[in-house]
Amino acid sequence: MDTFKAVFSYTVREHLRRKAWLSAALFGLVLIVGGLLAASLAQDERARMMLDLGLAAIEAITLLTAVFLTVHLILSEVESRAVYLILSHPVRRRDYLLGRFAGTMFAVIATAAVMGLAHRGLMAAAGWPVDGSYALAWTFAMGQVAVMSALALLLSLTLTSQEAAMVFTAFAWMLGHFTAEMRFLAERAPSPLARALLEGAARAVPDLARLDYRDAIHGPAPGPRWIAAAALYALAYAAACLALSTQVFEQKEF
Amino acid sequence: MARSGAWAAGGCAAAALLLGGALRRLSRDFPPLSQLPDTPFVLQDATLAGGGLRAAAADLAWIEMLQYAAGHGDGFADSGFGYSRLPDLARRVVRLDPAFHSAYTYAAGILAWFHGVDRPDDAAAILEEGMRRDPGHPTYALYIAAIAYKKKGDTDAMVRTLDAACSAPDASVFVRELLANVHSERGEYGRALEIWNAILDDPALADQHPRAELEIGKIRAKMR
Repeated sequence: MDTFKAVFSYTVREHLRRKAWLSAALFGLVLIVGGLLAASLAQDERARMMLDLGLAAIEAITLLTAVFLTVHLILSEVESRAVYLILSHPVRRRDYLLGRFAGTMFAVIATAAVMGLAHRGLMAAAGWPVDGSYALAWTFAMGQVAVMSALALLLSLTLTSQEAAMVFTAFAWMLGHFTAEMRFLAERAPSPLARALLEGAARAVPDLARLDYRDAIHGPAPGPRWIAAAALYALAYAAACLALSTQVFEQKEF
Repeated sequence: MARSGAWAAGGCAAAALLLGGALRRLSRDFPPLSQLPDTPFVLQDATLAGGGLRAAAADLAWIEMLQYAAGHGDGFADSGFGYSRLPDLARRVVRLDPAFHSAYTYAAGILAWFHGVDRPDDAAAILEEGMRRDPGHPTYALYIAAIAYKKKGDTDAMVRTLDAACSAPDASVFVRELLANVHSERGEYGRALEIWNAILDDPALADQHPRAELEIGKIRAKMR
């Protein structure tokens, strides 16, 4: 546990020193203010548009930053051979991997929290009240980011190429929003093999369309059972990816 | 160690599969993208929805519908004249986000009550879709009733029904403005002034205040 904590704090300090969070936050704030301008076109739906564009900008910037950092997290240290130095100390591989991942998630989500506060502040200043559903939408957006980052880490360790890992993560992100369509196609597929493949793919990719509350924020509020199921699903999916990543990393020969 | 790690991974994956099934049962699905109407924006909508930006895609579709209604829609030969593509553009917005209340009422308001448009059946079809996909808004049924009275030529009943609809908290500002104009045309200036003053007093409708002031001035001039 002490090793995990040490790797975690070292990773957070590293991200803060590199100031990747600062450029992400600035870019996010530019998009949020840009959303304010775009919202002026929406007549009496300006508040709605400002809310949607701001949350979408926060999620997109956080996701890009998290996936980029996660994919580089281990591979860059393998390429620079820094990982040899670290693992020559009494550091368990599992603690190293999970500490690095948790530290990165902490830095990225803290940046998203700054963007979220700025967005809420801007909306309040414009006279548009924001209710509790905002916090729920933000939290589940971060849940999706955590799931995708865990998947990106697994892909980066199994594919060994950073570019391939990023491309496959982007594919998974898009497929995760088309799970309903994949099931629709599976039901109508003429061959059992195609049906099984589509159904299997729909189960294997993270079901982001149903994990997402940001896009459904204007509809009826979700019940506590949905909140519990969505939170546990995100945790279980991310934990499965991290457990598999640990397995791959434990058996990796440097 | 390796075996316990493999068990942990397998357990988490099995839990994710089970919870994914529960999540599917508890979630409200959006309409599938295959139900989007045929417009020049299909690729844009699919790309944004695939990128997880469905609400933002609906917002963009809303702006494009407003531009079309104002006569500036790109890609449509008749933009702003016959409103022939307005039902498709409204369906595009509400199938991207079924909770987009204004899109149902705005399109239905134009199709049912704009001068020279007179497409009450299309307006009623959009409102019926609203009743199905966006429950919890009783005003949809009242607007449909008002359209039915309009088709029967019973203007008094239509105005009474619209008055009832427009006193609801979720009443569309666009339909309230249309109703104020109907009252004004019928010489019911007091009721028209009431509606415009209510719009003027609502800080959330600041965009509509210049228009409300203009219309109030016009009505007061007629009353003199």
